[in-house]
Amino acid sequence: MTTPRKNELSLKAASVCRRLACLPLMCLLLPACAGPATGTEGLPSDGASSGALPAPVAVRKPTRIMSMMLCNDVLLLMMVPRDRIASITYLAHDAVEALLPGADTGVAVNHGTAEEILLQKPDLILAGTDSAPMARKLAKAVGARVVEVGAANSFADIRRVVRQVGMAVGEPGQAHALLAEMDRKLAWLASHQPARPLRVVAWSGSQAVPGKGTLTNEIIAASGADNIAARLPDSRYGSFGLEELLAARPDAILQGETRWSGPSLQDAQSMHPLIERYWRGRRIGYPDAAYACGLPQSADAAIALRNLYRELPVGRPRW
Amino acid sequence: MTILHAENVSFDIAGRSLVSNIDLACESGQFVALLGANGAGKSTLIRMLSGLERPSRGQVRLDARPIRAIDRRVLARRRAYIPQNARVEWPVAVERLVALGLMPQLPVFGDLDRAAWRKVEAALALCDLSHKTGQPATTLSGGELARAMLARALVGEPEIVVADEPLSGLDPRHAMDGVVRLAALARDGRLVIASIHDLTLAARYATHVAIMRGGRLLAYGPTASTLTSSRISAAFDVDACVQGTGAQAIVDFIARPDQPALHPFPGLVPA
Amino acid sequence: MVRLRQDPMPLMLALLLATAGASLVIGKVWLPPVMLFDGLAAPKPNLAWVIVTELRIPRTVLALMVGATLGLGGAVLQGLLRNPLAEPGLLGVSGGAALGAVIAIYFGLAARFALATPLLGIAGALVAGALTFLFGRSGTLTLILAGSAVSGLAAAGLALALNFAPSPYAAYEITTWLLGSVAEKEWRQIALCTPFVLAGWLCLAATPHGLDALTLGEAQAESLGVNLNRLRVLALAGVAFSVGAATAMAGAIGFVGLVAPHLVRPFVGYRPSRILLPSAVFGALLLLVTDIAIRVIPTSTELKLGVLTSLIGTPFFFWLVLRLRRMSP
Repeated sequence: MTTPRKNELSLKAASVCRRLACLPLMCLLLPACAGPATGTEGLPSDGASSGALPAPVAVRKPTRIMSMMLCNDVLLLMMVPRDRIASITYLAHDAVEALLPGADTGVAVNHGTAEEILLQKPDLILAGTDSAPMARKLAKAVGARVVEVGAANSFADIRRVVRQVGMAVGEPGQAHALLAEMDRKLAWLASHQPARPLRVVAWSGSQAVPGKGTLTNEIIAASGADNIAARLPDSRYGSFGLEELLAARPDAILQGETRWSGPSLQDAQSMHPLIERYWRGRRIGYPDAAYACGLPQSADAAIALRNLYRELPVGRPRW
Repeated sequence: MTILHAENVSFDIAGRSLVSNIDLACESGQFVALLGANGAGKSTLIRMLSGLERPSRGQVRLDARPIRAIDRRVLARRRAYIPQNARVEWPVAVERLVALGLMPQLPVFGDLDRAAWRKVEAALALCDLSHKTGQPATTLSGGELARAMLARALVGEPEIVVADEPLSGLDPRHAMDGVVRLAALARDGRLVIASIHDLTLAARYATHVAIMRGGRLLAYGPTASTLTSSRISAAFDVDACVQGTGAQAIVDFIARPDQPALHPFPGLVPA
Repeated sequence: MVRLRQDPMPLMLALLLATAGASLVIGKVWLPPVMLFDGLAAPKPNLAWVIVTELRIPRTVLALMVGATLGLGGAVLQGLLRNPLAEPGLLGVSGGAALGAVIAIYFGLAARFALATPLLGIAGALVAGALTFLFGRSGTLTLILAGSAVSGLAAAGLALALNFAPSPYAAYEITTWLLGSVAEKEWRQIALCTPFVLAGWLCLAATPHGLDALTLGEAQAESLGVNLNRLRVLALAGVAFSVGAATAMAGAIGFVGLVAPHLVRPFVGYRPSRILLPSAVFGALLLLVTDIAIRVIPTSTELKLGVLTSLIGTPFFFWLVLRLRRMSP
């Protein structure tokens, strides 16, 4: 069987990379290191090899991890016990409530300031692209390692990011397990297409309709529907007005429901009388949290969508 | 017969008294020249006489009625007011400017009718501006604008004309023309009150003079008897000599020997 | 420039009608006129019918209403203040309306019921107008200064809202709203604002008499029987109701109120009373044409109305300054 061997290869590669992980430079090589070893084909079946994890190596796992980006916060909470977390961002609570209720109890909070880095003295900082420069400057002062994690806009990105974070926090096994679960769900989705082709769009007002290259698009694609906004020419978040919406007549409209922050005008606009009238029973609410950050839960989002498709009325919206 | 009576009026502002206890009664047929040095309170008195300013004490009565109690538009038909240095804000045509004087008479909506335009033309002719029809008012010279403002005041045929320094900045010929017109109005039976700096013109054409100093009225009466050298000295701090009466009157100013003008730099003795 | 050419009103009204017709035909979704007519004849509702009645007609109506309001308000204020640079925002009313609307967005009221934004916007405009009146009623200069102060206060409030925006997305939304738009507004909101706009127009329509008298300055206008206090109140109330409601609906749209009176003056002369109606019509025309341009100019992100009016209006401002410099020493 080729599959388990590939698995072992991947694990070996992972452990080698982990050994080298104490050198900051290697952080940059980690994604490249982990990438080619596991391709996207031939995903492991459930539980086959998740037990065969090597013991943690001699390198010390970081015990005071500070996360300065929202998406990293969630990943961190999923992979690492709370006592190893120095702090997560103050924005995380709402997202965590939506995805992992109660997971952040007792975890300290940071506002992304320099003072907090100096006070909390982390040994690992998970930064986003914006917070990375400042983090790097201060990391030397506290003796921390900085791992810059990019945004994840596709499932391929999610895999890369989850592995990167897993390596950084010293839990590649956890990362692997999360990805395995995600890939299993994606495979299930791919092999069970919905009964009829569906056209949908995530529309909450004519600004910022997610098109090609966004995570929302990937999730919609994974759920087996066709995102009509993906046909828009250039930008990833283009404008798509009511006129276009009416002319396109999608079978369903996705609207963000659970908000991280207070409601904003978008909510009112998304309840334009026309949408209320012609898409009654065809509006699907979705939790923003799972669509804004590339997380393994994004596969769950796709499955949730697929389940809802069954409840849509037959045929296109009618005038 | 219209009587405009200022009954013991005073005007105070910010603790200062600009006008104190002035009692003045004028009637139709009079051309009252209001004389006084700068800052004597002439403009304030004029504004009170026109009904535009409320006196701090006392009141102004027009035909025994308090002038502030009269409806604005009714008052506007009876009394015309020309302020100091009257300006025009937009480049409207001269005849349109003059036609604004008919505003109190005309209904709110609708443009001027032929009768109204005839009055405008008459007023323009009276002030020698017929050749300026169609020209924007902002292109008029100082004298022409003063005449246009006078035409604006006259077009409504008011009983009372109150003007604040209508001759300021005018050259001798236009100043003379202006004061001649005002005198003619008075002869026609109107009441004209105007503040004037040119004492010779006042002596020649005004029927009455009112002399002010420091917010008080020094004298008021027919020109011949009231405009005397001693009164002028008292009001203006200049020695004057009034010669002749009526149309030949001349007011001459005599510089005093110790006046600063002879010694431009005090303490410096000319060689 | 006193020579009166032919009355431009018939031409402008014809242009307005034609532009309104164009506005019904032009949109992001190209509906061939044939399809439009079929749509009107065919059993309703159908796509053409829905797009025209629910999207394009309200958009056109709103653009006309807002444009006319701004043009009229600008003309009245320029006449009242005798200043060619006066425009409706001078009295602080637009700032108050914007702040009211942003408060509705910020506290989530706009999400709960759709009429919150225009309602609070109008309330903000009236409060701002009342403040300006309270502090500035004694004279023209004090009115301008009070208006500036209230504008400053509203701007500070807006900056505060942006500073403490609960999320970057909320800040983006507030900014986008402020850029101004007449697209995709509901009939309910338009119906709410219309009475206020009409009330404002009524107040403003009572001013032309007094504005003409002000050509001679305040002293002579008073002597002609004009009640200057009442004139100021009428102008302020008119602007507060109409411009306030317009801003509450459409956001901050500048330059139309400044530009429209200037562009009609060469045709109708300088008398303030004669400028009011043409300014209103021209303002409506200007805004509608700009709105059509927005639909036609190909951009990936939606171009906002206030942005385009600013882009077009600023060069005009320079031209105006140059012209004033040439004319006066």
